Amino acid sequence: MVEIGHFALVLAFALALVQSVLPLAGARSGNARMMATGGPVAITGFVMVALAFAVLTLSYARSDFSVVNVWENSHSLKPMLYKITGTWGNHEGSMLLWVLILTFFGALVALFGANLPATLRAGVISVQGWIGAAFLLFILATSNPFTRLTPAPIEGRDLNPVLQDIGLAIHPPLLYLGYVGFSVCFSFAVAALIDGRIDAAWARWVRPWTLAAWSFLTGGIAMGSYWAYYELGWGGFWFWDPVENASFMPWLAGTALLHSAIVMEKRSALKIWTLLLAILTFSLSLLGTFLVRSGVLTSVHAFATDPSRGIFILCILTIFIGGSLALFALRAPTLTAGGIFHPVSREGALVLNNLFLTTATATVLIGTLYPLVVEALSGDKISVGAPFFNLTFGPLMVPLLALVPFGPLLAWKRGDLLAVGQRLMAAFAGALLVVLVTALFVDGASVLAALGVGLAAWLVFGALTDLALKAGVGSVPVGTMLRRLAGLPLSVFGTTLAHLGLGLTTLGVVGVLSFESENILSMRPGDTAEIAGRALRFESIDPVKGPNYTEDRATFALLDEAGQPYASVVSAKRFYPVRQMPTTEAGIRTMGFSQLYISIGDQTADGALVVRIWWKPMVTLIWLGALVMMGGGAVSLFDRRLRVGAPARRRKAASGRPGEAAA
Amino acid sequence: MLFWFVAALLTVGASLAVLLPLARRGDDERAAESNDLEVYRDQLAELDRDAARGLIQPAEAEQARAEIARRILQADGRIAESTPKAPAGRMLPRIAATVAILAVPLVSWGIYAGIGSPGLPSQPLAERLAKNPADSTVDELVARAEAHLAANPSDGRGWDVLAPIYLRLGRYGEAVNAYRNAIRLDGASALRESGLGEATAGAAGGLVTEEARAAFARALELEPEQPKARYYLATALAQEGRTAEAKAAWQAMLAALPPNSPWHAATAQAIEQANSELAAAETPPAPGPTSEQVEAAADMSEEDRNAMIQTMVAGLDARLRENPQDPEGWARLLRSYVMLGDKQAASDALARGRQALGEDSDAARNLVALAGSLGLPATE
Amino acid sequence: MTRKQKRLSVIAGAMAFLGAAVALTFYALGQKASYFYMPGDLQAATLQPGQRIRLGGLVEEGTIVRDQGTEVEFSVTDGDSSVKVHYSGILPDLFREKQGVITEGTFGPDGNFVADSVLAKHDENYMPKEVADSLKEKGVWQETTQ
Repeated sequence: MVEIGHFALVLAFALALVQSVLPLAGARSGNARMMATGGPVAITGFVMVALAFAVLTLSYARSDFSVVNVWENSHSLKPMLYKITGTWGNHEGSMLLWVLILTFFGALVALFGANLPATLRAGVISVQGWIGAAFLLFILATSNPFTRLTPAPIEGRDLNPVLQDIGLAIHPPLLYLGYVGFSVCFSFAVAALIDGRIDAAWARWVRPWTLAAWSFLTGGIAMGSYWAYYELGWGGFWFWDPVENASFMPWLAGTALLHSAIVMEKRSALKIWTLLLAILTFSLSLLGTFLVRSGVLTSVHAFATDPSRGIFILCILTIFIGGSLALFALRAPTLTAGGIFHPVSREGALVLNNLFLTTATATVLIGTLYPLVVEALSGDKISVGAPFFNLTFGPLMVPLLALVPFGPLLAWKRGDLLAVGQRLMAAFAGALLVVLVTALFVDGASVLAALGVGLAAWLVFGALTDLALKAGVGSVPVGTMLRRLAGLPLSVFGTTLAHLGLGLTTLGVVGVLSFESENILSMRPGDTAEIAGRALRFESIDPVKGPNYTEDRATFALLDEAGQPYASVVSAKRFYPVRQMPTTEAGIRTMGFSQLYISIGDQTADGALVVRIWWKPMVTLIWLGALVMMGGGAVSLFDRRLRVGAPARRRKAASGRPGEAAA
Repeated sequence: MLFWFVAALLTVGASLAVLLPLARRGDDERAAESNDLEVYRDQLAELDRDAARGLIQPAEAEQARAEIARRILQADGRIAESTPKAPAGRMLPRIAATVAILAVPLVSWGIYAGIGSPGLPSQPLAERLAKNPADSTVDELVARAEAHLAANPSDGRGWDVLAPIYLRLGRYGEAVNAYRNAIRLDGASALRESGLGEATAGAAGGLVTEEARAAFARALELEPEQPKARYYLATALAQEGRTAEAKAAWQAMLAALPPNSPWHAATAQAIEQANSELAAAETPPAPGPTSEQVEAAADMSEEDRNAMIQTMVAGLDARLRENPQDPEGWARLLRSYVMLGDKQAASDALARGRQALGEDSDAARNLVALAGSLGLPATE
Repeated sequence: MTRKQKRLSVIAGAMAFLGAAVALTFYALGQKASYFYMPGDLQAATLQPGQRIRLGGLVEEGTIVRDQGTEVEFSVTDGDSSVKVHYSGILPDLFREKQGVITEGTFGPDGNFVADSVLAKHDENYMPKEVADSLKEKGVWQETTQ
């Protein structure tokens, strides 16, 4: 059984080799049959990797310790959910998940790419094949999850306790769907460059893939941030850690790509730039994979890293990024420039957006790689942390956020800034009111904090204004307005939701940064503490036995004004004996959008417990906003226009095999 | 067998994915540029919708319409100009196709032959624990008993069966626990009490401690002739340096032993040792390093312990280099190195042991099984 | 303005923007990057008062002192020399004697290091890379085994 998975993986590699060569050769030589192999081969390759992945998952579920990977990362007493998620909670398994998602996207292109020109489709599938072949070779040569162990030990060494959490079930798959989803945009760009032709339709085909990948990545990053927030027990939601930056850079570049692809589709402008962004976005994804997997940078999130494997990924990285950029340099000059536009216009706004976003990406990139460069040049070891990013990234983001509401209101080609300003008066007045209310009525609010809240409100009101104007609020009767609203394309709602979500996230970040309160003290059972006007009593600490751990569980009661407990919060210190590892389980209670966060530390000499309590106002908005953004992407994805694409390609045969339709 | 069948099936399926599209008839070259026209037409329709809804001014709409119309004209022009690519020669595609079709089985079987272990079945834990006990390794049997006892911790018989196995495997701490459970649940018996004593002594590195002595004493109360208890109580005397008394105790025990008792040899040997010790006056023989002593070192201070363990393991290692035909010794060395956390040395010892004992001998196989249970991968 | 002038002014604007961003980035790198030191490197280093650094090494055995409240003191060592570190708060889960840590903070006037963050390795196979590299250089590194 295990060996069938192993064989399927090898077979997938062989198929990826064929997929790399045959369709592209067909496209170059005008051979339709060779091009037609792309679809079936990509789908079969996906089926093989899926089979291998299913077999590995089954080995985990059944605790088959004759598989080294299972023995190293599982334990028979682990709850079933963590046995299954443990499949990708380690280097080998997570690389297999990476390739599974890559081939999944390749198969999707094969299935839904029926309306693409045959040569472009063949090219895209081939480029996907290159990436697939490279990473399958990497897995088979350096990180084979199917290596066997004989005789099989009777018990495994358990999964890192920090990873034994529901977060592992959601975060890596979502993140990889995002990371790897951008490979499709990359393949489209490279295929277009090989083809030497790029047109308005190209942008329309790339956009849904960008949207899908971007939505997944948004969700993945948000989920990862929330996971680190509650699991590490430090109460932080973003550490500017290299691994976090590694996922954030493709997100920033992908956001830029999302916007520039609109210009390309609508106005045939920014073609070359959009191509370059598509290449850069996936290159940053590859760089992220390299940083995370190789452990060249110290990170609080890096697990199971291995520098020797890093070299291999570095080679893949060099070949793909270097090769695609060289191809770009060679072919880009032959592409024709598109429509012209006035600086003050929708296009101009989107260019400005791209300028800010790519500059921000570059600062994050420099901050992340600078320690590596310095160490290579001078041998000094330095670290670049939050202070750097606050100083560089912050100033770039604030003007960008302030400009966001203008963009969707500007007309294409030539806009009228004054008219747009007038339309935004209501939103601006609303935001101003929020600033005043915050500054005057919220205790301890600084001017900066009030302005931050105002900025968030400006984003939210601005997004709603756009929708209201498009629906004709105030200028037409209510009935007409509702009909108009219902008739708006889904992508308009997508834009509104995404910008609204951005506002909510901003509000969450400002809320936590400006109004958070924190209290570290040592407590004995019966002691009370005060945090942000709330009283808290330490009730007791009790030992509890879990399935594969023991824990000391501290119970805290929230007291009302009469001193009566009305809710309790439990925070724990766990110990996993197999790995000899303690973990902290933070106690979190959500109240409205805010959270009370309690994390317990060691016992002091006289038996008291060190307790750290935070009041985190609006903190959940950080992730809820991201979910709203993700929802915006999804709504946009279902826009009829994107799905229709170039619809009228009549299918020649009535056969239902989608893979053949475009052949 | 099943594996080969499935593997062949998968290979055929994968090859067909390449073969079928190549074998299909028909020629379907098409003008690629028509896609642009669709996009532009779509844009025109959208423009009309927006204009009807009043989202853009009529003048702007007119301008945009003119621009799209211009692009449509351009695209039309390109289609007219473009000539279909001349199909390449017939030979090249055929060669490419043949290579591709052959590549799938050749590459996959070639690589798999190098890295796969086709003969190795999967071994899910539940299945391993459920199979016929006669086919199981000791470790599997122990794991099975442990799983059973984790579910039914009040099964005294289970503890009674498991305890001597732990003792034989040298897992003294667990043996002590198992004997205590058996005594608590099923009551004391001479056998259990003396077993508890032996396990306690083993945990202390072979030293018959006060606690162990108490257990043996209880065993003798229940059965005055219990040989194990008598033997160890005599050993306790010897360890205190009261060699003459110990010898007397062993002699008394030997006299009372039934003729077919397995204790004859051990007791006789002990007496002999006592004799030679008495003869050599106060020069006690240096004890060889045992895993018991390694564990006993737990009570010592950090530096002493490390020093002692290192010396003993080194001594054992040296002895095995001179006299390698000692399966027990190899097993002990392996366990010691793993306990010390020196994986490299352990793998090295495993390799040397296997060589010394003969690759295919039962002893070598047992050694490999032990290495596996200690978490040491078998190196070929 | 002609179209060409407009275009030039747009490009000039973008260049000025990028130039400002680059200048800001390098200013920030100079100001905010914190250097990593082992205790033994500190004699040779010239530190400004109040300069943030990262101090890494092993937690010296027997030096962890907890007071009644949340204050903790311990020494970070690289085998040769050691530095006393003062920290207030909850130590990470895997903070133990003889384990690698990275602390970040500044030197106080009394010569003690006041850390505002302490990072320990977060799984038993993993040591902060800087610490591992430096210890290897000094030869006190031992491969961790299970």
